[in-house]
Amino acid sequence: MKRKIRKVAIIGSGIMGGGIAALLAGAGIKVLLLDIVPFDLKDEEKNDPIARNRIVKAGFDAALNSKPDLFMSKKDASLIEIGNLDDDFEKLKECDWICEVVVENLKIKQKLFKRIEKVRKPDCIVTSNTSGIPLKAICEGFSKEFKQHFMGTHFFNPVRYMHLLELIPGAETLPKVLDFIAKFGEKNLGKGIVWAKDTPNFVGNRIGIQGIGIIMQAMIKEGMTIPEIDSIFGPALGRPKTAIFKTVDLVGLDTVDHVCKNSYELCPDDEQRNSLIMPEFASKMVEKKLFGNKTKAGFYKTDFTPDGKRVKKVINSKTLEYEDLVRPTFPCLDEAKKKDTLAGKIESVLKGDDKGAIFAWKMAANSFQYAASRIPEIADTIVEIDNSMKWGYNFEMGPFEVWDTYGIKEAVERMEKEDLKVPANVKTMLEKGNTCFYKLENGIKFFYDFASSSYKEVPVAKSMVSIAAAKGNNKTVMGNKSASLVDIGNGVFCVEFHTKMNAINAEIVDSMAGALEYVDKNGVGLVIGNEAGGMPGAFSAGADLGFISKLCHDKKYSEINAFLKKAQDGIQASKYAPFPVVAAPYGMTLGGGCETCLGADRIVAHSELFMGLVEIGVGLLPAGGGTMNMWKKFISALPAGVAKDTDLAKLFIPAFMNIAMAQFSMSAAKAKSLGFLGATDRIVFNRDNLVGEAKKEVLKMVDDAYAPPAKQPLRVMGNGGQGMVNAELFNFLQGKFMSEHDSFLAKRIAFVMSGGDVKSGSYVDEETILKLERDAFVDFAKEEKTVARIDHMLKTSKPLRN
Amino acid sequence: MKEAYIVQSIRTPGCKQNKGLYKETRPEELLSFILKTAVDKTEGLKAEDIEDVMVGCAFPEGEQGLNIGRIAVKMAGFPDSVSGATVNRFCSSGLEAITLASARIQMGWSDVTIGAGVESMTFVPMGGNAPRPHPEYSASNPEMYISMGITAENVANRYNVSREDQDKFAAASQNKAVNARDNGLFTEIVPTPAYKFEKQEDGTYKKIEFIVENDDGIRSSTAEGLAKLRPVFAGGGSVTAANSSQTTDGAAATIIVSKEKCDELGLKPIAKLVSYSTIGCKSDEMGVGPRYAIPKVLKQAGMTIDQIDIFEINEAFASQAIYCIKELGLEDSMDKINIHGGAIALGHPLGCTGAKLTATCLANLKEVKGKYGIVSMCIGGGMGAAAIFKMV
Repeated sequence: MKRKIRKVAIIGSGIMGGGIAALLAGAGIKVLLLDIVPFDLKDEEKNDPIARNRIVKAGFDAALNSKPDLFMSKKDASLIEIGNLDDDFEKLKECDWICEVVVENLKIKQKLFKRIEKVRKPDCIVTSNTSGIPLKAICEGFSKEFKQHFMGTHFFNPVRYMHLLELIPGAETLPKVLDFIAKFGEKNLGKGIVWAKDTPNFVGNRIGIQGIGIIMQAMIKEGMTIPEIDSIFGPALGRPKTAIFKTVDLVGLDTVDHVCKNSYELCPDDEQRNSLIMPEFASKMVEKKLFGNKTKAGFYKTDFTPDGKRVKKVINSKTLEYEDLVRPTFPCLDEAKKKDTLAGKIESVLKGDDKGAIFAWKMAANSFQYAASRIPEIADTIVEIDNSMKWGYNFEMGPFEVWDTYGIKEAVERMEKEDLKVPANVKTMLEKGNTCFYKLENGIKFFYDFASSSYKEVPVAKSMVSIAAAKGNNKTVMGNKSASLVDIGNGVFCVEFHTKMNAINAEIVDSMAGALEYVDKNGVGLVIGNEAGGMPGAFSAGADLGFISKLCHDKKYSEINAFLKKAQDGIQASKYAPFPVVAAPYGMTLGGGCETCLGADRIVAHSELFMGLVEIGVGLLPAGGGTMNMWKKFISALPAGVAKDTDLAKLFIPAFMNIAMAQFSMSAAKAKSLGFLGATDRIVFNRDNLVGEAKKEVLKMVDDAYAPPAKQPLRVMGNGGQGMVNAELFNFLQGKFMSEHDSFLAKRIAFVMSGGDVKSGSYVDEETILKLERDAFVDFAKEEKTVARIDHMLKTSKPLRN
Repeated sequence: MKEAYIVQSIRTPGCKQNKGLYKETRPEELLSFILKTAVDKTEGLKAEDIEDVMVGCAFPEGEQGLNIGRIAVKMAGFPDSVSGATVNRFCSSGLEAITLASARIQMGWSDVTIGAGVESMTFVPMGGNAPRPHPEYSASNPEMYISMGITAENVANRYNVSREDQDKFAAASQNKAVNARDNGLFTEIVPTPAYKFEKQEDGTYKKIEFIVENDDGIRSSTAEGLAKLRPVFAGGGSVTAANSSQTTDGAAATIIVSKEKCDELGLKPIAKLVSYSTIGCKSDEMGVGPRYAIPKVLKQAGMTIDQIDIFEINEAFASQAIYCIKELGLEDSMDKINIHGGAIALGHPLGCTGAKLTATCLANLKEVKGKYGIVSMCIGGGMGAAAIFKMV
């Protein structure tokens, strides 16, 4: 029988159980979510199914209402059936995978698995999401068949957003089971797989927690402050803005304390065991229940002044009093700010000579020592450790990658000079003349494998395409500072943007034209995609606003018109090119980024998609074909015969609102319901596979004998739509729900989208609407209030509602 | 002019739009039922005696289109000879239908007519299915298409009607309605069949009929409780869902017969229409309509306001109702106004409202043994209407 996952049981409805259930439902899989019957039922409640499901219902509701959203679409919730461990246990028979996420207590887990062993159908995979209890302890005394299907699946919180899934094979788990869950996790659930060994806290938390512990201790020893530490261990070192202490506030100091103690107890031979002992002030904070966000006070807290203003406070580690937060800086951080690349920033910080830089270096050296010494104890390769930190802790580089950036040899020399122990495996590696952990050769990424003392290929899924690897293999066929055209094989090329936030500027617009020409001559199809980092990252945050601002201030309106015309020509050319063009958006896909996708033949989107035409926030409208293509997406979603005779207003109002209200999606599923994605567009769960899947889509379209769409006039809402909008905007304005300028902009957007001065139901050339887009954009650019909005956005990154 | 007598005036219960008991019952059924029942309840009158039926409907399209006035007549089982028309003046449509039906008799053009009203806001939403304001006129005069909620805010702001007074008024309306329902005082109501589609064991659906006895939007309320609601039409406004009329489904019918025909068939007159007026006002404060329409109709009839025993002034919004009552000098006559509650509790099924309030007015006049009653309402687009009825 071919293994399939039809239904999954999640046992335990806490934040992790609920999160896993939501993820599975998002992937279209039926879920049975179970939890215990409350202990404190009153007599009259004992037969009441609602009372008996009270705990699981509360967990389910918490997942449904959590912010940020755990569900990609609330509709998915209908795939989840809830129940309790007394009345619904037999239903486990129907499940192909049973995942345990109950309290971290060995006895409770064993008792549960004993019951599961009795009801599970043969071949059903059983996993534990335990983070601290060894699997071998949990499955002791179970049947062979059970053990062959038992393993660890360790998700990270919040499950939807954290890419990492640690898989821990049991001693007897069948390879085909391991392989199946790895593929399922990667493809269906979109996770990044790290193979961990059955050691306490596995990979991510073992490394991550030691990193936090040692920094806390060193801070006290060196007399540094919490804000100082957070300023160093943030984006300058490729780590999230929440750095150390804000991260702990987010996770909860109680949880961190628990993991520290667990690691300390279970790892008696860990040479850095002592770094897991939390400093006294932090233990006192635990006693005082200053856990962080969940108790509204942790290392940081937000106070309000009497007149309602927010004030950020930070705890003083000596006095445990909260003080006003002053953001410190160090010369090395100022230096890092000037650097464009992460590698440059990291070097600035680690190689500086101020107090902050020296502290950062010491901690980096410690993490090098610790990570290298964990191989092969917790994982077989450096790839697993680096990936776990990137995917589970949102670091942009794992410890070995940081070490590579510093220069291994250079770092080792400095460590030796400072009497810091250099791990033996790294020493041996250097002695053999190998001076880097990773290297790129012919587009293939290799890592240094300690076990065999040789370089091996970093394993990637077959369908995965790496633009970076292709570029490293001299496959860039055209390029400039803002964009490149890369050969990704089989005649397919990829246009890659690489500006800040992948903002679209004149160079990118030019590149698009060049790319289309090149592919027409030399290729079979085009992917528009990129691999910028970050969570969620930005496919493209829109047009380069600084560029637009300058043109507005200089009153260069004919240049604005020319820029728009060129952008529109590029987008139209991609739509009507004789080869398929597939856009592969992920993360922030706003304004011009969204327009680029709407102009493509097809969209293959990552499930985490924040897509919208938000130009009105800066007093503008989509004028790269976006206003037209938004409408086109709606009208062309209908069967042709129906579109001829349908009430256009039912389509026009939502399409118009998408732009006039600057609606954007919080997931690809949401983008579909808003109409940004259509029936032929696809959603991919794993971002690592996105470009590869887009390439596959191109090849499939080619294989299906691709012919470009015939250009035909569009049926438009005409002036009937403008009347509807005029009347409704008057109400919004009267109700003070929008400003005069918003109303002015929205009316004109309605005019453009509805085709201008024509009767309802008229057929209008695409060029007509494109001209209306440009005219409106230029007229908006002449408005003082629009310029004020643009400047405010550039200055504060927030919209101005004038 | 001939004498035209009302011999029957009844209504269905009003049920909440989309959530209420009529949410699956089409408007044709509500209307044809109330027409047929009006005839059946009138001893001595047969369907073939009816000559014409005027039906008020504010959004005569979709399920209410195709001239529901004629379709409902046929669905009621009336013979081919009975004609039917749909009449629209938005919220006074039902009253307009009754006055037109009366006028036909007074002119001597008919002997037996029905004036009725119907609105299923569930099936045809307010504004209709396909509103298309004129592109240029809506740009220069958007207030002609203004939302009713904004007009209520305008009345509150321009004439200083406080949120507190609106909530008090709304709670009083609800509580009067609770009392009337619990004590069986809605004698104009006829229990009305409705239906729903219920899933069967085999997965198919079956139409299930049931009877609706009461208005389903009545909620016992306190002003303090209502004060918690947020304004819905304007940021920082005072008009809430609770101090506005409910959007509702319902139907009502009134039979009017000439004196000669009453004598011939032995029918018992109840009341008659004395006079009817309509008047225009600013569209962006349409709620002030009754404040002008009532003095106008009294002047037409040569009467004074103190002669009136019962007022049914439609509570489109508490703000406009309070303003009109104040301007008419009726603040001390609350015992005569909407004595069993108004549209805030009982609902405002747009085109049905005039016909519904006529039935209520006549029932309440009977209850208090009064002689004269007024039915009045404000009308979208900026109008007011008022009619005086006299018991006979």
